[in-house]
Amino acid sequence: MTGLAVPASTVPGRPARDEAPAGPGPRGSSAIAGPGSRATKVLANVVLVVVGLCFVLPLGWILLASLDASATLVVDIPEEVTFANFSAVMTPEQTWVPLTNAFLLSAGTGLVTLVAAVLAAYPLSRYRMRFNKPFLYTVLFGTCLPITAMMVPVYSLFVRLNLLDSLPGTILFMAATSLPMAIWMAKNFMDSVPVSLEEAAWTDGASGMTALRRIVLPLMRPGLAVVFIFVFIQAWGNFFVPFVLLLSPEKQPAAVSIFAFFGQYGSVAYGQLAAYSMLYSLPVLALYVLVARLSGSSFALAGAVKG
Amino acid sequence: MTTLAPAEAGARGAGPSTPRRSHLRRSTGRLVPLVPAIVLLALFMLGPVIWSFYGSFTNAALTGPNAAEPEWIGLDNYVQLLSDPDFPKALWLTVLFVLASAVVGQNVLGLGLAMLMRSALKPVRAVVSTLVVTAWVLPEIVAAFAAYAFFHADGTLNSLLAGVGIAGPDWLYENPMLAVILANIWRGTAFSMMVYSAAVAEVPPEITEAARVDGANGMQRLVWVTLPTIRRSISTNLMLTTLQTLSVFTLIYVMTGGGPGTDSTTLPILAYQEAFKFAQVGYGTAIATVMLVIGAVFSVVYIRSLKPEVD
Amino acid sequence: MRLARPLTAGIAAPMLVLALAACGSGGGTGGDGDGDATIKIAYQKFGNFTQADELFKDVKAEYEDENPDVTIELVPIEASQNDYFTKLALMQRSPSTAPDLMYEDTFMIKSDVEAGYLLPLDDYLAEWDEWDQFVDQAKQAGLGDDGKTYGVPMGTDTRGLWFNKDVLAKAGLPEDWAPTTWDELLEAARAIKKADPEVIPLNVYSGKPMGEASSMQGFEMLLYGTGGTLYDADESKWVVGSQEFVDSLEFIQTIYTEGLAPTPQQALDPNVGNTVSAEWLPQGKLGIALDGSWMPGTWLENGTAPWPEWTEVMGTAPMPTQEGQEPGAVSMSGGWTMAVGAGTKNPEVAFDVLTHALDKEHALSFAIENSQIAVRSDVAEEPSYSEANPTVPFFSELVSVTQFRPATSDYAQISNAIQVAMESVMTGQQTPQEAAEVYDQAVVDQVGEENTTEG
Repeated sequence: MTGLAVPASTVPGRPARDEAPAGPGPRGSSAIAGPGSRATKVLANVVLVVVGLCFVLPLGWILLASLDASATLVVDIPEEVTFANFSAVMTPEQTWVPLTNAFLLSAGTGLVTLVAAVLAAYPLSRYRMRFNKPFLYTVLFGTCLPITAMMVPVYSLFVRLNLLDSLPGTILFMAATSLPMAIWMAKNFMDSVPVSLEEAAWTDGASGMTALRRIVLPLMRPGLAVVFIFVFIQAWGNFFVPFVLLLSPEKQPAAVSIFAFFGQYGSVAYGQLAAYSMLYSLPVLALYVLVARLSGSSFALAGAVKG
Repeated sequence: MTTLAPAEAGARGAGPSTPRRSHLRRSTGRLVPLVPAIVLLALFMLGPVIWSFYGSFTNAALTGPNAAEPEWIGLDNYVQLLSDPDFPKALWLTVLFVLASAVVGQNVLGLGLAMLMRSALKPVRAVVSTLVVTAWVLPEIVAAFAAYAFFHADGTLNSLLAGVGIAGPDWLYENPMLAVILANIWRGTAFSMMVYSAAVAEVPPEITEAARVDGANGMQRLVWVTLPTIRRSISTNLMLTTLQTLSVFTLIYVMTGGGPGTDSTTLPILAYQEAFKFAQVGYGTAIATVMLVIGAVFSVVYIRSLKPEVD
Repeated sequence: MRLARPLTAGIAAPMLVLALAACGSGGGTGGDGDGDATIKIAYQKFGNFTQADELFKDVKAEYEDENPDVTIELVPIEASQNDYFTKLALMQRSPSTAPDLMYEDTFMIKSDVEAGYLLPLDDYLAEWDEWDQFVDQAKQAGLGDDGKTYGVPMGTDTRGLWFNKDVLAKAGLPEDWAPTTWDELLEAARAIKKADPEVIPLNVYSGKPMGEASSMQGFEMLLYGTGGTLYDADESKWVVGSQEFVDSLEFIQTIYTEGLAPTPQQALDPNVGNTVSAEWLPQGKLGIALDGSWMPGTWLENGTAPWPEWTEVMGTAPMPTQEGQEPGAVSMSGGWTMAVGAGTKNPEVAFDVLTHALDKEHALSFAIENSQIAVRSDVAEEPSYSEANPTVPFFSELVSVTQFRPATSDYAQISNAIQVAMESVMTGQQTPQEAAEVYDQAVVDQVGEENTTEG
């Protein structure tokens, strides 16, 4: 995953800074080859490997337990590797239907959010207006709202709008709650696209929206992917909103059913719990890898948070 | 020092050429794309937020006599909150959690990893960054449970320590805050790492090169050259990680349930307990309002002290 | 005009989705026409707890067959207890989502009545010939504060002492051990500890992580055996400053400081309930457990920790009163009921469905499947019921001495205060007297001084 580079190759006009070597030696602003630089490199690699190990350890339990016929909380090499845990949980009711619902919810939320956020980001990015910063900051406060405390009025609101137990209604709500971050990120990605290109289009008589569609969006593709992924991941793991707003069990996404699964602690076999976790996590991981690959090496939160 | 946003260099404000339109119409027209976002936000967030705020002045409950007829009780919820012995503790724990795991933990580790990645071998960089990002991409409940299994008295961490001959304590019982802080760092560092990687990559190498030639060593270059250059990213990242960490609920709830006792009950957990376990919705939303205030305070501090405007 | 397109698109899109959603979402209950009725039943379905789901699915199939003009809509709520209460309360708040029938915990009845969510059933019950089959003691569980019946019990549970005969034998205690006072119980625990220090002599749930289990199986099993009480029902006041409260806390302190109970660390694990039944008892690591009548559910073939030998290894004894005073044993009961929503448009039909779901046949199978204690005497007399599980007769007898919690709308917080008191005593942070004073203050804060009385 080399997702650490600025989208230099996709934005014309920007000097590819990190590709201009300062001299023989590691790229970027690190030292030119000299005494100690190899030691630094070795040290850096060692530290990174150690950090990587630390990060993977907690995940190790999930992987091992899911394959273990007699899994406990203790991380153990399974005596007998088995897929029984997986087959036990892979019933339509328990796994496939919730996963499908989760996918519908998350993808729907991602799309709605993306559209609204990109549209909103355009004027915020291109037109200097006095209320830009206040609006952005206020909207950003939205990210620290504890949804748990708000669910009661939201429920009443949904009753009044007659939107309870509807996937589209839930998607709209989740999109609304994802908007703050999404607008912020979209605006920042947009900021990295130089206006000069649009200015040419404007003088040719194109409208704002046309310029957005024809010029800015194609250049922002990695950014669009980042926003979509971000929203998707959040929606995928969201338990409270679907739990409160959806009534029929066939509409509940995986986040709700898995929460119920976890809440039983030891009365459920740990192996099955781990297997279910893996089934639940793999789609998001796969999506992330897929989008990162598709965006080439330019997948990053590069322009997302410049402020 | 600029951050690469040439769009801001005065090119703003021109807009599409509309010579015959009135000024007013032009500016209103410009705001139109904001409409869908504003509609969604106003309907689904502003409304409930206002209602919640109003609700915090009532004794609304989900069940019991106050469910049928909630009464306006003014500031009573807030007074009760401030005199509740659990509140100052929850407040302190929340601030501690945010400072330790977001401000310090994720940002420092994220920056450190970003810097280290620059000197790393390509495969190392690829693998390690994938591992770090996996923890972030994982759905929160799975990450929370993995952390629970890791820190449990019979869990992975203690097994590893036992392998080296150390008898690890019952982390979740004796050091619950430490465990949840570490877990949150584990979970959120990827975001900071990605942000700082990109930010640092944009620092013009000429500048750091000039500093090196002037005799500055690595650490000095970092502190005096690189950090100030990416000041805006730092400020923004701090704000984002702080605000998101402020509302972390599932991670702590699954790992410790807020316990033992109230030793790891942060404000979101307190709010959940009041609003749902005890069905005291009015009181729960009062806590949520307090959380918003804290978030605002942090944000103001960041904005003021880091002055993210480009100079 | 240039901006018109994005304008309309920008506004139209979300509006369109809203409109579509509004059309497509579910409506409320109610008659679709004359004679047609839809009855919505809400209940809990959680992990291994599928018995309610199976019961209501059967009821739906049978009832709709017999009554073609009635549609039954099942709303299983997949959530753990607290979340189930929350979801149910949210549904009940809005007339369009309020269920007609619901699976209602006795814990919630009084507060839901105060909230106006439930329909009084006395008139309907008077005309139901099977109501006499219900044990009087059990009928209490469904009462609101006004004395009217709001819930029909589906089953109940009682609590007592479970013990591992092998562990006790090693300590020299007989197979038919049955303590008559608290002291005898403590002596037995001490004997077990002496015989094998590795074994936990006695488990009494305590502290916040185990939640209501600590309050009910733990504290209230002690308090209500002292002659004391949490709530004076005659005066409708909560009891504070009672010596019996302190005595009960002292018992907790004794067992946790003398090492007669699990370590505080073990006890404060939210998982410990499962550990007790799935690990400690079958593996002989625990001698005596103060627990409930539903325990065998774990050890059955389709339970989460099957243990076929349990019928030979496990013995039962009633929890004694403090000094052995009348009635000699103490038990607490909870249990679930079926309640009718106050806003239902078809109360007669709803009640009819209820009687169908709780008739003898269904009550019997529910009691057996769910390891419940029968609340109907005709069910209790069925041989298949007592044969399902050999401890059932024992626990059924405890119904005669059982007590119910004062489950008013304040109870959730008062129960929390009890757990806090237990926790501070078991960890040694406070003496029983100090913890009791903190509790008293919490009660006063919660209900107001005028609603308390000195005990």
